[in-house]
Amino acid sequence: MSRFFTTGSDSESESSLSGEELVTKPVGGNYGKQPLLLSEDEEDTKRVVRSAKDKRFEELTNLIRTIRNAMKIRDVTKCLEEFELLGKAYGKAKSIVDKEGVPRFYIRILADLEDYLNELWEDKEGKKKMNKNNAKALSTLRQKIRKYNRDFESHITNYKQNPEQSADEDAEKNEEDSEASSDEDEDEDGVSAAAFLKKKSEAPSGDSRKFLKKMEDEDEDSEDSEDDEEWDTSSTSSNSDSEEEEGKQTVLASRFLKKAPATEEEKKAAEKKREDKAKKKHDRKSKRLDEEEEDNEGGEWERVRGGAPLVKEKPKMFAKGTEITHAVVIKKLNEILQARGKKGTDRAAQIELLQLLVQIASENNLGEGVTVKIKFNIIASLYDYNPNLATYMKPEMWQKCLDCINELMDILFANPNIFIGENILEESENLSNADQPLRVRGCILTLVERMDEEFTKIMQNTDPHSQEYVEHLKDEAAVCAIIDRVQRYLEEKGTTEEVCRVYLRRILHTYYKFDYKAHQRQLTLPEGASKSDQDQAENEGEDSALLMERLCKYIYAKDRTDRIRTCAILCHIYHHALHSRWYQARDLMLMSHLQDNIQHADPPVQILYNRTMVQLGICAFRQGLTKDAHNALLDIQSSGRAKELLGQGLLLRSLQERNQEQEKVERRRQVPFHLHINLELLECVYLVSAMLLEIPYMAAHESDARRRMISKQFHHQLRVGERQPLLGPPESMREHVVAASKAMKMGDWKTCHSFIINEKMNGKVWDLFPEADKVRSMLVRKIQEESLRTYLFTYSSVYDSISMETLSDMFELDLPTVHSIISKMIINEELMASLDQPTQTVVMHRTEPTAQQNLALQLAEKLGSLVENNERVFDHKQGTYGGYFRDQKDGYRKNEGYMRRGGYRQQQSQTAY
Amino acid sequence: MASRKEGTGSATTSSSSTAGAAGKGKSKGGSGDSAVKQVQIDGLVVLKIIKHYQEEGQGTEVVQGVLLGLVVEDRLEITNCFPFPQHTEDDADFDEVQYQMEMMRSLRHVNIDHLHVGWYQSTYYGSFVTRALLDSQFSYQHAIEESVVLIYDPIKTAQGSLSLKAYRLTPKLMEVCKEKDFSPEALKKGSITFEHMFEEVPIVIKNSHLINVLMWELEKKSAVADKHELLSLASSNHLGKNLQLLMDRVDEMSQDIVKYNTYMRNMSKQQQQKHQYQQRRQQENMQRQSRGEPPLPEEDLSKLFKPHQPPARMESLLIAGQINTYCQNIKEFTAQNLGKLFMAQALQEYNN
Repeated sequence: MSRFFTTGSDSESESSLSGEELVTKPVGGNYGKQPLLLSEDEEDTKRVVRSAKDKRFEELTNLIRTIRNAMKIRDVTKCLEEFELLGKAYGKAKSIVDKEGVPRFYIRILADLEDYLNELWEDKEGKKKMNKNNAKALSTLRQKIRKYNRDFESHITNYKQNPEQSADEDAEKNEEDSEASSDEDEDEDGVSAAAFLKKKSEAPSGDSRKFLKKMEDEDEDSEDSEDDEEWDTSSTSSNSDSEEEEGKQTVLASRFLKKAPATEEEKKAAEKKREDKAKKKHDRKSKRLDEEEEDNEGGEWERVRGGAPLVKEKPKMFAKGTEITHAVVIKKLNEILQARGKKGTDRAAQIELLQLLVQIASENNLGEGVTVKIKFNIIASLYDYNPNLATYMKPEMWQKCLDCINELMDILFANPNIFIGENILEESENLSNADQPLRVRGCILTLVERMDEEFTKIMQNTDPHSQEYVEHLKDEAAVCAIIDRVQRYLEEKGTTEEVCRVYLRRILHTYYKFDYKAHQRQLTLPEGASKSDQDQAENEGEDSALLMERLCKYIYAKDRTDRIRTCAILCHIYHHALHSRWYQARDLMLMSHLQDNIQHADPPVQILYNRTMVQLGICAFRQGLTKDAHNALLDIQSSGRAKELLGQGLLLRSLQERNQEQEKVERRRQVPFHLHINLELLECVYLVSAMLLEIPYMAAHESDARRRMISKQFHHQLRVGERQPLLGPPESMREHVVAASKAMKMGDWKTCHSFIINEKMNGKVWDLFPEADKVRSMLVRKIQEESLRTYLFTYSSVYDSISMETLSDMFELDLPTVHSIISKMIINEELMASLDQPTQTVVMHRTEPTAQQNLALQLAEKLGSLVENNERVFDHKQGTYGGYFRDQKDGYRKNEGYMRRGGYRQQQSQTAY
Repeated sequence: MASRKEGTGSATTSSSSTAGAAGKGKSKGGSGDSAVKQVQIDGLVVLKIIKHYQEEGQGTEVVQGVLLGLVVEDRLEITNCFPFPQHTEDDADFDEVQYQMEMMRSLRHVNIDHLHVGWYQSTYYGSFVTRALLDSQFSYQHAIEESVVLIYDPIKTAQGSLSLKAYRLTPKLMEVCKEKDFSPEALKKGSITFEHMFEEVPIVIKNSHLINVLMWELEKKSAVADKHELLSLASSNHLGKNLQLLMDRVDEMSQDIVKYNTYMRNMSKQQQQKHQYQQRRQQENMQRQSRGEPPLPEEDLSKLFKPHQPPARMESLLIAGQINTYCQNIKEFTAQNLGKLFMAQALQEYNN
């Protein structure tokens, strides 16, 4: 069945089937199909048995003939090629050969070929004349055939001893050859005939029939392969085919006739039989056609449908003089629909037919009900046009679909008395009775959703860097407009569920767009009253923030399916984050508890979640909240698969791991290019926030053995940077960040600043933010602060005291800021120092343990655990008695007592090593 | 620079500075039945080893070479040596044996002692107790009974006192190594502990009289300032490094013990299972007997319960040995430094 049924109005199609079943079944398509299928089955079984062998032999004989031809013209190169093919073909035919024995013709060609080659080889004169290729081929072929013939030695000697056995065959062969050269078309038959003839001696009587059958089969074969598809469906649309077939039959007959004298004269009896058979077959076919025609007489529409592809038949849709009524049109519609999804139905023609039907309907003033119904079906057929789910609609088709939906919407808006719904039963439809409200089955929302999906697919399949993409993107406005209209329509008439769905569509088309107008407004608002009329006009459109708020709140309140609400929340957060409303976004994220159970969601929602988290992180970064930014981005960045997680491309690495099917599915999940989040920006934001966190942390925990890495990714980049044997000026974004980190480690904020913010980085990253300057100034300040902290951590051991003024000069921060940073460090016990108020200096306490002390402490700790481990081994040796020591975990610390009590154990503990 | 100091320290036949003294004390216990009781090294060999490291070794990289000499009574006299070339990536197919043989043949041609009596190796902060050293020393001692390995510590030497030690594997360890069985039982049977793995052989550095005369001459001329390394008070770097290395070994030791622990646990668990199984079997047989049926056939228990592979204990022995060396080093170093600090303090007070 078509895909449309499964996605959208499946109930509709079902009911149409069930409703019409009684009428359609007999007319529909079973009558002609079944006998046909039967007959085919019959023949099939025979064919399988025969053709395997014949096909192989045919192949062989074909090749042999070409070789012989090549031999005649001394084309050794050709001979070599063909010989290799022959060997392969023989290999394929092995199973049959095993059964039937090595065919004589095969042996003959081998023997002949060898003789021929030897002859050529001896002919020194001729060899000299030969061109290089041929000479080369000759030697290769000679070697090959020698090797090859070794396997057939006995056969060949046998053949050479009594070649007269096949003398008559030779004669035939010649005959055939001449025939073959004269009539290329007959190749197959001729050869197979020859193959048959060779076998004739073995089974002269039984074979003749076989042969005939085979002949027939072949014909069938060729026909079948030609119009295999039509074959199945010819029952439904064989009217036009019948003529063709007729023609074919004659061709067939002539073929038979032609062949008959050519192959054998003594076969006349057989010939007759065969002709009888052919005739019978012909009769059968024509009978079948007759039957069809008879059947068709009952419903003239069958013919029309079959002939639909032919343009000239178009006007014949309704027989002349037929009164066009609702009933007739509906019946016709149903007929057309029945062909839907069946093999061989010309989908394009179907659409055309439906459009014609609309025209007729409107010409005859059948009312809007019918038009709406047909329109629904047109759109459905448009979607049906592509049988494959993976491929995308052609843009033109989609455009058509767009127009259609628009028209449909026009009608629906113009006629508020039309009710549509997917749960209106076919029987209860009211298309004609103008007194009552019109009821039409169908769901506009499903159609629009489908249209939107197709749009996404088109975008996915267009090269994002081409003009074409831009052209397509322009259609997005149209899509939005339609969604808007549907939304308005459904707000009036639809159920809450439908409204939720259409709201979600709307949200999905809104959330990722940055609202420049609102942004502008925000900027100008505090400045005051310079509002011109133009501004006013611009401001009229609803603020996207308000819009999102309204739509999402409705969904939060009314939606009952979890998925729509989840999507809405995520989009809402995304939108907040995009517009730098960090706190709202964060609160929404935390309140929704999505982080806990997002792993149970389906992949598209997860992708949306990832996108939202990333946007949230970037938003936090813009606000200067590096820690939040880092945390939000950590999951995405640490995996190293950001591209995949955001649905912005497939990783090459995993190509081997997934098969074609999976890849297709994944491809379908990709986010269209205009929704992409810049990955370099993302990585840069992540690395810079990691730098701002990690460098002071590293400085603070220089000698701490148990320090943890905050960001593995960042450390990795640092290591990569260190591994460079020769460090040039940074080129890429990463190199810039690494260089900046190194500068920061030394507390050199100016260099760090120049690495992070410069022309290159502006172009690559910072200018992509909507408020680039604000971000930059925030970043400078952050760098200054963190550099100050790093400086204090790294060099505090060198100072006895340091003036805050000096620090403030060094880092170009004002005194209160320096004061607050240092105070904070002191409070957090990161810096062992105190502030001396009168002199504005920081006095270091020097209570930090030295490097040796640190090491010694660590060593002590490690030794402690070592002893504990050792004791455990000891416990094992001691059995239950050792349990006593296990009770006091810190046994090793009370060493003296332990030793005194169990001094004898000292020796044992040594042996435990 | 190191050479001169070494000269002063060893003078004529006195044992070489600290190393020799420390070695002597220990060797009393271990080397009773050993073939070699003393190693006598020519000054030339010492200088050659030092030069080899100076030129080729740096950082953690070690240099190695072959010692040549002969055995006189219970004294091993090392009269010459030659270095091994450094291993590099591109000469993987370098044939070491071939090289040695050729070197020795060449030396023989110029009438130099050519008997192989051991090898030498430089070390980084005393971390030489490794499996590699054990294996190669074993093969040396296996082939040439009297071979020794000379360990040269360039860092300690740079601090002012030549550090050169001669080691041999104890006969007990040789036996264990011969059997290639490092299971806990085998080691226990051989009663091998980390202290009884290597025996240190006392070293004597011998020079010709002419050289000794030159030494005396030079010592008179040399200023005190040339010996300032010996008096250096800086300790943090060396101590830190030692502590770091010690800590690494302790970590390894910890892991090893954990491994052993799991093994023990598994063993005891299996033992229990075995026991239970046997009991069950016995009961069943008893029942069968009472019913007059023949008892169940004996099954191979070792097939039912595959014994766990006991972890090789050689590693932990080596680690323990290494830790011991580090501790000795640290002890020695701190003792010296404390002495120096007290001296410095006294000097300060005196000056004030």
